[in-house]
Amino acid sequence: MDETIILEKASEAGFMINKEAVDYLIGCRLQEDCLPRIFSEIDASVFVIETEHLTVLVQTLEKEAEATKTAEESKETAALPYKYSFDENMVDVLEDISEKTTSVGEYNQFVQYFRDRYTRISEMIRSRVSARPIESLPKGKNVKPLSREGNSDITIIGMISEKTTTGNQHIILTLEDPTGTFPVLINQRDTDLVEQADKLLLDEIVGITGNLTPEGTILMASKITQPDVPNNYSSNRRRSEGYALFISDVHVGSKEFMKNEWETFLDFLNGKSENPQLQKMASEIRYIIVAGDIVDGIGIYPGQEFDLEIPEIMRQYEVTAEYFHRIPKNIHVVISPGNHDAVRRAEPQITFSKEIQRLFPENVTFVGNPAVISIDGVCVHIYHGCSMDDMVAAIKGVSYQEPTSGMVEMVKRRHLAPTYGSRVMISPEKRDYLIIDKVPDIIHCGHVHTIGVQNYKNILLINSGTWQAQTDFQKKVNIMPDPAKVPFVDLKTMKPGILDFNDDY
Amino acid sequence: MEKKPAQSEAMQKYFDSLEAKLFTEMEIANAARSKGEDPHPYVEIPLAKDLADRVENLIGVKGVAKRLREIEEEGKNREESALLIAKEIAEGKVGGFTTREQSVDAAIRVSMAVITEGVVAAPIEGIAEVKIDKNSDGTEFLRIYYSGPIRSAGGTAQALSVLVGDYVRRSLGLDRFKPRKELVERYAEEIRIYKRTASLQYSPTDDEIRLIVENCPVCVDGDATEEAEVEGYRNMPEIPGNRLRGGMALVIAEGMILKAPKVKKHVDNLSMDGWEFLDKLIAGTKTEDKKGDDTPAASGKPGAVTLKIKPKTKYIQDLIAGRPLFSHPSREGGFRLRYGRSRNTSFAAAGISPAGMFILDDFITNGTQLKVERPGKAAGMAAVDSIEGPTVRLKNGDVVRADDGKTALQIKPDIEFIIDIGEILFNYGDFLENNHQLMPSPYCFEWWLYDYENGYNRLKEEKKVDISRFPNPDDVEKLKHVSEEEALLFADAGIPLHPDYNYLWHDLYLEELEKIADFIAENGKLEDYEYETESVSCLSLPYEKSVDDGIKPLLENILILHKVREIDGEKRILIAPPTHVLRCLSVTVEKDKSFKKAWTSEEIKSAGIELTIDAVSKISNMTVKARAPSRIGARMGRPEKSALRKMSPAAQVLFPIGEHGGKTRNLVNASEYREDMNATTGKFEIKIGMRVCPRCGRETHKWRCGCGEFTIERLFCPRCGIETSDSKCPKCEKPTMGGRKKAIEFRPIYKEAIERLGVRDNFDLIKGVKELMSRAKTPEPLEKGILRALHDVYIFKDGTARYDMSDIPLTHIRADELGITAEDLKKLGYEKDIYGKDLELDDQVVCLFVQDLIISVDCAEYLLKTTQYIDDLLKKYYGVDPYYNCKTIKDLLGVMVIGLAPHTSAGVLGRLAGFTKASVGFAHPYFHASKRRNCDGDEDCVMLLLDGMLNFSREYLPDKRGGQMDAPLVLTIRIDPNEIDKEAHNIDMCARYPHAFYLATEEYKNPAEISKIMDLVSSRLKTPDQYENFMFTHGTTNIASGPAFSAYKTLETMTDKMEAQLQLAEKIRAVDESNVAELVLKSHFLPDIMGNLRAFSKQTFRCIKCEAKYRRPPLTGTCPKCGGGNIILTVHEGAVRKYVEVSKEVAIKYHVSEYTLERIELLEQDIIQTFENHKIKKTSLTDFM
Repeated sequence: MDETIILEKASEAGFMINKEAVDYLIGCRLQEDCLPRIFSEIDASVFVIETEHLTVLVQTLEKEAEATKTAEESKETAALPYKYSFDENMVDVLEDISEKTTSVGEYNQFVQYFRDRYTRISEMIRSRVSARPIESLPKGKNVKPLSREGNSDITIIGMISEKTTTGNQHIILTLEDPTGTFPVLINQRDTDLVEQADKLLLDEIVGITGNLTPEGTILMASKITQPDVPNNYSSNRRRSEGYALFISDVHVGSKEFMKNEWETFLDFLNGKSENPQLQKMASEIRYIIVAGDIVDGIGIYPGQEFDLEIPEIMRQYEVTAEYFHRIPKNIHVVISPGNHDAVRRAEPQITFSKEIQRLFPENVTFVGNPAVISIDGVCVHIYHGCSMDDMVAAIKGVSYQEPTSGMVEMVKRRHLAPTYGSRVMISPEKRDYLIIDKVPDIIHCGHVHTIGVQNYKNILLINSGTWQAQTDFQKKVNIMPDPAKVPFVDLKTMKPGILDFNDDY
Repeated sequence: MEKKPAQSEAMQKYFDSLEAKLFTEMEIANAARSKGEDPHPYVEIPLAKDLADRVENLIGVKGVAKRLREIEEEGKNREESALLIAKEIAEGKVGGFTTREQSVDAAIRVSMAVITEGVVAAPIEGIAEVKIDKNSDGTEFLRIYYSGPIRSAGGTAQALSVLVGDYVRRSLGLDRFKPRKELVERYAEEIRIYKRTASLQYSPTDDEIRLIVENCPVCVDGDATEEAEVEGYRNMPEIPGNRLRGGMALVIAEGMILKAPKVKKHVDNLSMDGWEFLDKLIAGTKTEDKKGDDTPAASGKPGAVTLKIKPKTKYIQDLIAGRPLFSHPSREGGFRLRYGRSRNTSFAAAGISPAGMFILDDFITNGTQLKVERPGKAAGMAAVDSIEGPTVRLKNGDVVRADDGKTALQIKPDIEFIIDIGEILFNYGDFLENNHQLMPSPYCFEWWLYDYENGYNRLKEEKKVDISRFPNPDDVEKLKHVSEEEALLFADAGIPLHPDYNYLWHDLYLEELEKIADFIAENGKLEDYEYETESVSCLSLPYEKSVDDGIKPLLENILILHKVREIDGEKRILIAPPTHVLRCLSVTVEKDKSFKKAWTSEEIKSAGIELTIDAVSKISNMTVKARAPSRIGARMGRPEKSALRKMSPAAQVLFPIGEHGGKTRNLVNASEYREDMNATTGKFEIKIGMRVCPRCGRETHKWRCGCGEFTIERLFCPRCGIETSDSKCPKCEKPTMGGRKKAIEFRPIYKEAIERLGVRDNFDLIKGVKELMSRAKTPEPLEKGILRALHDVYIFKDGTARYDMSDIPLTHIRADELGITAEDLKKLGYEKDIYGKDLELDDQVVCLFVQDLIISVDCAEYLLKTTQYIDDLLKKYYGVDPYYNCKTIKDLLGVMVIGLAPHTSAGVLGRLAGFTKASVGFAHPYFHASKRRNCDGDEDCVMLLLDGMLNFSREYLPDKRGGQMDAPLVLTIRIDPNEIDKEAHNIDMCARYPHAFYLATEEYKNPAEISKIMDLVSSRLKTPDQYENFMFTHGTTNIASGPAFSAYKTLETMTDKMEAQLQLAEKIRAVDESNVAELVLKSHFLPDIMGNLRAFSKQTFRCIKCEAKYRRPPLTGTCPKCGGGNIILTVHEGAVRKYVEVSKEVAIKYHVSEYTLERIELLEQDIIQTFENHKIKKTSLTDFM
């Protein structure tokens, strides 16, 4: 193990670590990929990790590693095609809008929707700071000091309803809670705070700590608290094993659908790879998760008919279903829709119609978009990713080339699509299904046609690329897709990897 | 010193009379305003005699007019003058500016104004700022900030302004602009996105943009105009913000790239270096886009005349619901091109028969815009009854043609199918202006007449034939329609067959021609039939068999008119007279009266004849020419307009009352407003420009204090808060503003105004405004609003009352069609008719004076009310004598008006000379051109001259980009044809096109090649004939014939309009209704449904109490701004669902493509899923059973 990586992983997990403990880890028989797990097991109350915190854990893991190694070796000789039966590969749908829609498009429902978002996300922040309702802020000319010391810090938690920059480059935010609105000023001189505030999105919920001006007209911010996932967060997921594969944006029906590469992928699943390692891996695949856009759809953009190989929507699904019939029956497939699919466009999107579902084999489970599922105890949050376009446009540093950079921003806000009224269409349901409520082990997005895998605070962020080559439109706007690659996760170690099915591979 | 345009004495008299009246009204207005009741005690519209005056007044640089006239004397053309004056201003020789930036700024604006004839607002509004900036290497360069209104300048002026910039920066010794690589990429991205979000005529490639930005010596910059932002190259230090700069995109894409050849010409003339990149641009400019022209040419059949011009599909691409397609591109049955000019066409206005207007279900009428395949993009329509109308099949099987409105209305209920929609009249000038190659002319009467003249002279010389049976060629009326016997006589003498007896033979395959001939030979007989009283010899064919064998459709398609009648119990097709048809088909009548056909298509082919039309000539032994070789596709564009101009919401006075007048902005309500029970009635806070009396120190919003002293403006700096009467802050030098929020007691102001006018205080509604948009927040006198309310007059942003009408050109008038008499015309100075005879009768045609206007009756009624308001204003407010004293609209004859087009800032003086039932504003094409309008569906406004002089003030104009547009900042008092939009110079003015013209059309010549032989305006310039002795080639009986309104306006709902559109499509041969249904769904209904669905899920919200808008609903639920107002959705389920049902019905009924049908089904499913509540269990009828 490498010292820098140990230090990095420790700090990612929210700990400091002393030299002795580092040396101990370098000397042990474990791989670096165990580090997140080791640190996740350490009690959150620990401030600096010392050797004594590690010994028991490391020894257990060492034994475990031994055991797996021998087990794997014995299985290799067994040469059975599939290690796990379908019954073993269960999927629990934890959260999904399908069949539960409430919106009929009334004004009150929009209010209810945003109030639900406010209530649930503000609770997350409230657990870390003590805040007061906006209504209770003293306003008017003669503001009495809030405490005897005079201007002491106060915190409000609000949804950002406006964000402007003054002539002097101060940032003004308007914060809103169910009791009222209040302006907040981020002083241009506070560069750290400005950098943080620059990235704030409309309609996300933040806590702002600061001083009221003497007139009580504005809050001078000194600290911004986003809901985020706590630094010391650790999953309590069950131990699992085998592989889960993540794909999206197949775009069957498009002239640019990469049929050959897709066929190679299906061959691989069926153990037909020439590479024995891949054969072995195929036998251990338990899940394939699909994050939307399984077909190219029709009428999605003007002139699409000229880009379609299959111009009929049902035919597109029939062909897709035929492909999915060729996936080994022991693998449990979960499909959620995207913006090209034949379901409503407004998010949360409900799942596919019965007519379409009927075409697919029984080992497929259909969910809405987004959906939270548990695959053998590992919690996966699936979201197609339309909000990524908003993030790229609004947040400096978020790009299509690094799609997980946008996903980090989702986690920080505990919301998949914070900004209302921009690119994401919203259906005002009673409950905001786009909130990242329970911290998942994996978040899986697609939509942007580029690939990315990143660990953020013990959450594995995966963007799963595409099976569509560069389209004319993408050429024009200079988007380079990264197609025919499949991210996977070893459910035992939570170690991710990427399989490449491009021809030259 | 000023140079007079060449004109005759009669014209001089006319112009003098206009000016005399102008000055009378000017005096009245100056006298009234001198009382100090208006922002300035004098008329605020400066008069301009010529372009030089206009430029000086528009830009406000002293000395420019004088110098411009001198330059013109030197013989420089417009563009050369523009460059020269720019240089002199920049160098300080003219204008006398103190700073370099000021002089460069003025130089660029002035030169641009010169190029645009000093009419459009672009030179003042299109350039936001000109700045001298520093390159990274420390050298200086010039930066021009363009803004949105630059669009109105047109590509050439846009591009030349950059050249001017370069020209002047050299004389100032500035370096060239040296952009960073990233900045160049920012431009490329920005223009690309702009093309997507707004619209550009041309999509430049990234390389073209890079080439320009890297090499252009001047920096083309701009204000942010769009909400959209760039995504990639953000936060550039050189450019504030990330929003798109529309002006910049326009100048680069539509100016510099599209007009590169024009710029190049000037660069070469001035031998400027640094513009070599233009060569690359010109060489690399993309050719016509490959897409689109995929419809096969209708005339591409073997045997048919093959047009060398491909059909164009552009006009059809965005078909709108309710605006019908009249013909697919170049398709048989569509509009047949006819060359010529009627007195109400040319200048992008085309004529069709009034019969066609009725038969095409009233969708087209005078002023309706048609999007056409060629020669331009669009054309305004006018009724011309001297060309052919549509040919239709009636329910009884008859095929008839209607050329006049009366016949059309008679047969309309019986029409089953529209075989041919008739002719469309385009003048040669429109082809010249659009630089569209000439297309073969039909063999029309005008052309035939030349052949007849030549033939007649030849026969006379040869003396072989008895010439006495040939009418003299001068007897045009007699020759227009000749008997069959005569037609054949002429033809046998070698003169091509008369157009009356000619058919669309060229549309047939040779085999089809033979099929007809065979059928007639076998089944035809000559029969006499009793038509009403006379017995007529007919070619008679069996009806049923003709239909079964497909002969009747062939006869119909080539427009052989016929009747279907029962003879001896059998239905027969009757064609009369019969001989020319038999002759053309070479079917001979034997002695036993049986028919014989003595030719086969094989024989003809082996003789080397390929075209059916040539075959007809060959077998008939006559010269038969193509009757309709060129067809023009068309669809409806905008409907005609004739409506008074109202702001939205409408206002009658520019007096601010905030929310206190309620939603209707009612001053009466505001005067009764009470904050609470204890508050003073009619007292509220408002932003209004306050003034102070220098003598008694009292504060008021009026320009004259109660003590009689003129008041002084009280301004303040929005930043420092300092009060001053200067236009700049003494501390920070920022521009100051007027109108601090202040409590005013409105009720006494209101009551005082009512009392002063002496009118009864019983008003229900006087519409004010919520707030003032002008810099100093100067209100109008309340009295004006009260009088306007009394006369039901509304105003525009500048305080004038206006009326908008579609522009249609008119060069000749007749008293009887204008609701007036010859006497009335004489009073207006008209003396002779076009033939030089004294004007005595109401139906004599006279040449329209160039500044005389014919307005719609509705417009006249509104102007009548306005004159009464002005008279009241003079009497009751200014205390002087009333001026107009008009009782009926006829009293408006001779009243002076101002014509003003949108996006321009220069009005043109006009005079009312008649009224029309058509919903259009007729005026001389010069008049339209002097406002920089053509007549392709444009519209603009008229206002009373005295209204403009009394009520217009620059003080009222909004203080924002574009605020100065559409305001009479200067008034052109005399039209000089040399100084109007050059497009008008291409109008032809002759009574007859030369023979060579028709021959040139057959050769597809470029129109410019024959411009010398055409009598164009350009050839008459600077001579008295530039104003008179105009003629036209095609007459029309009444310029207002045709339907009163387009059906598009009379049908109420979109569904009704669309149904009517599809019903019409079903009837027209040149239109495929299922294609129309598909296009309408695809380009209108589906995007509408999708857009509304998207809008629903991203919608904004609105407070019904205070109108506040919210991007997202406030968490409090109710409106926090007004304290609890109810908030509602802006997009409802109903708006989303509106077109779903009708789309589905149309899709099924008209068999649209599977793809489109599926799209509708998907959208419907999306809508159901969006508005469906799973938790509410649906009950169906079966649940109860």
